[in-house]
Amino acid sequence: MSLLSKLEETLVCLKAGKVTLPYPAQAQPLPEKFRGRPIFDATKCIGCAGCANNCPAREILVFDVCQEVRILQYLGRRCTYCGRCADVCPEKAITMSQEFENGTNAIGDLGQRLELFMSTCQRCGRCFKGPSVLEDLKMKGYRSDDLQNERWIFRSRAFLEEEKTVDDIQIELD
Amino acid sequence: MIAREMFEKFKQRFGPLIERADLPSDRRLFVFVDRSVVKYVCQHIFRELDARYVITIGADDRPFSGKFLVAHNFAFDKDHLLCSVLTQLPADDPKIDSITDMVPAASWAEREMRDLVGIEPVGHRYLKRLVLPDGWPENNHPLRKDVPWNEVPVEFDPDREFRFDEPPEGCTVVPFGPFHPTLDEPAHFRLYVEGEMVRGCEYRGFMVHRGIEKLAESVMSYNDIPMLAERICGICGCVHNVAYVQAVEEAAVLKPPPRAEYIRTIMLELERLHSHLLWVGLACHIVGFDTLFMQSFRIREPIMWIAEKISGNRKTYALCVIGGVRWNITPEVKIELRQTLDKLETEWRAVVSAVSKDRNIQKRTWGVGVADKDLVKESGLIGPVARAAGVDIDCRRDHPYAAYDRVEFDVITEQGGDVWSRLLVRMKEVFESIRIIRQCLDKMEVGPLQLEIKDELPIGRMGLSSVEAPRGESHHFVITGENNRPRRWRVRAPTYQNLQAVPRMIKDQQIADMTISLGSIDPCFSCTDRLETIDLRSGVTKVWSQEELLKLTRAKKV
Repeated sequence: MSLLSKLEETLVCLKAGKVTLPYPAQAQPLPEKFRGRPIFDATKCIGCAGCANNCPAREILVFDVCQEVRILQYLGRRCTYCGRCADVCPEKAITMSQEFENGTNAIGDLGQRLELFMSTCQRCGRCFKGPSVLEDLKMKGYRSDDLQNERWIFRSRAFLEEEKTVDDIQIELD
Repeated sequence: MIAREMFEKFKQRFGPLIERADLPSDRRLFVFVDRSVVKYVCQHIFRELDARYVITIGADDRPFSGKFLVAHNFAFDKDHLLCSVLTQLPADDPKIDSITDMVPAASWAEREMRDLVGIEPVGHRYLKRLVLPDGWPENNHPLRKDVPWNEVPVEFDPDREFRFDEPPEGCTVVPFGPFHPTLDEPAHFRLYVEGEMVRGCEYRGFMVHRGIEKLAESVMSYNDIPMLAERICGICGCVHNVAYVQAVEEAAVLKPPPRAEYIRTIMLELERLHSHLLWVGLACHIVGFDTLFMQSFRIREPIMWIAEKISGNRKTYALCVIGGVRWNITPEVKIELRQTLDKLETEWRAVVSAVSKDRNIQKRTWGVGVADKDLVKESGLIGPVARAAGVDIDCRRDHPYAAYDRVEFDVITEQGGDVWSRLLVRMKEVFESIRIIRQCLDKMEVGPLQLEIKDELPIGRMGLSSVEAPRGESHHFVITGENNRPRRWRVRAPTYQNLQAVPRMIKDQQIADMTISLGSIDPCFSCTDRLETIDLRSGVTKVWSQEELLKLTRAKKV
């Protein structure tokens, strides 16, 4: 009885053949929807901070260094690649990449830092996203030394302070 | 009607001592009773009405009602009813009669309540510390609302050691764990051994306590918590993810769209498939049969790939948000999933046919780690452990959720109650899961994946949710709250109940059978140890002090 079951088990093994994949020499293709390291696109980001509000691991920080510059910092230390940031981004500026071999000795390697130039409403002083395509253009990718666009830039009286405006963002990255 | 009938029964018996009741649906019953009768109400429910004990929850409700709250949850499996007996305790006197004498299964839950919320179960006979680290001060209870989530009390003493009980006379102590080749996660069993026979043991666990409930109640928001809940367990993560979301949905009276329910069902069953295959592999590994261990894992692998294709990850699916699911099952994936299931079915049939006659495995598992019907009732055992003892319970049928009320399947039971029966139950359940997924794929309707939620979720409502994990029932209790997060979220993972019965399962057995007996409940220690912030290192530091050890490890760091 037992001999028969041993033979059956042998058959199971023989049928299987060799199944070990030659990883990492030859990587298997990943499925399209694979959730790897999130990549932030500075040209698309409007600095709405929706990703930061929805990140379960609190790995995305947003802070303003002055009236016109907003920093979006992705730390990537305990990010679980759940993809909520990519879900909620209204501008599709975050994509879940196919990168999963992210082992590193310096944890800072995984971080990303976006410096975003923001428009401000002259009435209320808040950053805003323009309603039309034209106004949208004004908020994306301008540089303060671009003389052609000079007329679009609001010169604020805010200045960069020695200390950053929010003090809980002194992040230690070893 | 059953909820109302049950409530009438209580009213007849306890009359004015029942303060109020809430019957949100026919499958849920919340009864508020005076604290003087809570013991008798629980006895009545457990003994006379023959309900199954689920969990006891302590909550600090002082900021909202000025009182502490205790809930004893019971399940009437045949009547499809979940019942919660709630008691409010005054803020200056948080004491409640212990129910452990009548309901032995409540022992751990009451000890945990004392540790974390500081509610004293009066009359509990073994009030040793369960959850908190040994050096944690007596008067600090982390789950109270006035304790910040990241607080480490100044009186915390990391060097204090756990005090074990004295072993019985004539017994030798054999430590098992925290690190042992057959334990995948840390837990310490101190076995009392007489010759080759185990006569008893003491358990010290909760070493991978991560403060998940506190974090959820104080820092995160409703839609963040599913991703956290999923990380309670590495194997049955999706179960916790779905259970939490369902509990919130129930509290807020939201009904997810049908397609979302089918997708939840499919993903839960995929998870059961891979978990059962993994368990059969590991069980064979523990008894020293590595060939089958390898074959199980090989057969399991395509399940992981298809899950990756659907959700973007092999294991942590990040499936649910409140009111729906995030991933769709496209027609292409559907075809592939069917092919995967067909292949799995033929391959698994061959394995089952071979293993079910294998004398070597039978000899290692017959009559080992027996949990009979009596133990199942007393300790509130669930899942394959209960079903292997002939107790016909399964949350998928008894408390239907997602799309389980729309599919047909059999609940597998065996009569032996030993490890062999558990092996058979799990092997056969694989075919039922395949059947369920096929039906879901046939019946799945086209439609939206998520419910559009326009209003804020109501505050102070309660929700219960039982989901059948591969290891047994996973029970979540939620009280909704302010600031877009729950006030209280309590997770009762299946291992929490099953592990309590291990000392009785291994009693008077050979020490060599300890590993497979423990393995047979498919223990998941990180499920059981959910809360708190500091890990426990005492017991390891006999020769080296903790500081020396730390120095040593740091010196070697490049």
